[in-house]
Amino acid sequence: MAGESPASPVWPAHAGVDVLIAEDSRMQGKILQKRLTDAGHTVRWAENGALALEMARERRPEIIVSDIEMPVATGYDFCKAVKTDPALRSIPFILLSTLSDPIDIIRGLDAGADNYVTKPYEPDYLLGRMEALLATPIADEDTGSAATLEVTLAGQAFKVKAGRQQVLNLLVSTFENAVAKNQELVVANQELSVARDGLQKTNAELTSLNAEISRINAHMVRDLEAAAKVQRSLLPADDVAIPTLDVAWKYVPCQSLAGDFLNIFPLDDERVGLFVVDVSGHGVPSSLMAVTVSRFLTPKVSDSSLLVRQAPDGRVLVARPAEVATQLNRLFQADEFSGLYFTMLYGVLHVPSGRLEYVSGGHPALVRVPAAGGPPEFHGAEGFPIAFVPDVEYEHKTLDLRPGDRIYLYSDGVPEAMDAAQEPYGEDKMAACIDDSRGEPLAASVTALLTAVEQWCRPNGPLDDVTILGVEWKP
Amino acid sequence: MDQFRRIQTGKKGDVFMVLFKDKKILDDTVLDEIRGELAQFLGKASGPDVLLDFSGVEFMSSAMLGLLGQLHRKVSGGQGRLKMCGIRPEIFQVFKLTNLDKLFSIHKDAPTALATFT
Repeated sequence: MAGESPASPVWPAHAGVDVLIAEDSRMQGKILQKRLTDAGHTVRWAENGALALEMARERRPEIIVSDIEMPVATGYDFCKAVKTDPALRSIPFILLSTLSDPIDIIRGLDAGADNYVTKPYEPDYLLGRMEALLATPIADEDTGSAATLEVTLAGQAFKVKAGRQQVLNLLVSTFENAVAKNQELVVANQELSVARDGLQKTNAELTSLNAEISRINAHMVRDLEAAAKVQRSLLPADDVAIPTLDVAWKYVPCQSLAGDFLNIFPLDDERVGLFVVDVSGHGVPSSLMAVTVSRFLTPKVSDSSLLVRQAPDGRVLVARPAEVATQLNRLFQADEFSGLYFTMLYGVLHVPSGRLEYVSGGHPALVRVPAAGGPPEFHGAEGFPIAFVPDVEYEHKTLDLRPGDRIYLYSDGVPEAMDAAQEPYGEDKMAACIDDSRGEPLAASVTALLTAVEQWCRPNGPLDDVTILGVEWKP
Repeated sequence: MDQFRRIQTGKKGDVFMVLFKDKKILDDTVLDEIRGELAQFLGKASGPDVLLDFSGVEFMSSAMLGLLGQLHRKVSGGQGRLKMCGIRPEIFQVFKLTNLDKLFSIHKDAPTALATFT
């Protein structure tokens, strides 16, 4: 069974060799020790050249593997000490070197090393080297009798004393090292080329994914544009013309899709409906709710309209504002999942008399600018936002306009607009702005208010939809 | 005990106490996380007494009010009570604009609010 075991030593010929390691790095020493022990060798490990020499004298090892850079005594010192000791000099000595400089070879020769293994090395390569060295025992010749060689390297002359066998061994090991490093380079090159192929493939996949994302994105942009178009259809007609009424409005969504919308339209021969609705949040969910709500706020007699219905005798009946709010609140209670709700100010203006009935579902108060003079007035009505509290009855209030009076409906994006220091624009500044422009045409005053809000929010711009609807009654 | 990212929780007697950790509750994803964490904290308690502490909150979107509405319906549907405290003037303005200051039971701070549960 032992022959089939994959754990059998790679080099069975010299199993159980007494090895001495000199290595100051604990980690590298441990790894080397384990690998050699696993191969069946007896291993002693010293942390510097001086200690290693003591150990070698204590018990003569069969082979020595030594690092070069070590405190107390370097690998060269240790090697020289071994090779000049008659009792030790025939022990094969392997130097672990980075071989970063050709002079290292000279130093190794000078120290009498038998073999070089360059770091980093494969443990199997080192084991192979040990095996090769052990297979050719070193003649126990006195280095004192060895010839003195003269070598010139980088313009510097070295005198090295070395035996022929040692020189040969070292030369061969240097060459083998170069071959091994070359093979490693070839393998690394192959791996690089595989990695490059992999990268090219990944790159191609990324490109195709990118194209897919662009396609989906283009699709979403198209959908958003279509949705924004639907939203614009919820706004007053461009040519909204109602006798004795001046109408002006501004609507600036903060994203492509808004939760705000407004409208003003005739409900019958004498009455006009007007509203500003603000659905909480922004984006797709809010705009979908806005579109859904708008279906119920239509002046066309239909099953869904909450504003008008047809009496059995064919006359159009206009619902009173409180009834509209109560019904809407009932219809939208189901929205448990999203937590969406909306605020609304809805009014019905009786054009011949100037009487405005209005209801508020948690919406900011409307502003009236009396034609007769006096500061702008806030007229609010109590009522919770729609779809917030189940089964509440809304109540409307009445405001009698005088000829020339203006009213302004708006979303909270106006008073709650924040400046760079997070200070809200506020009702006071809003009222002052409306007051300042009371001498100008209605459209100019609505534009002035929007401009004031936008300036307040500089440089970031409004974070909420801004909606303003102005109406002047001039019978 | 405190495993939530958006809310700090505790119990005083039968009252579930919630302190919002965020200074700004504006982002939809933050809102969704708060909604999920509240549901997890309140668990299956039917009609629990709940105290929400806003003392760390400086800004809040109108969508957060929607979440409070949901919570209000859930709590009062089971005869529980929902109370709030530590609301800054800027945030109180949001409640006031929407008339919701009249719906919610709002108190100065946590001790004052807790005293009203008994």
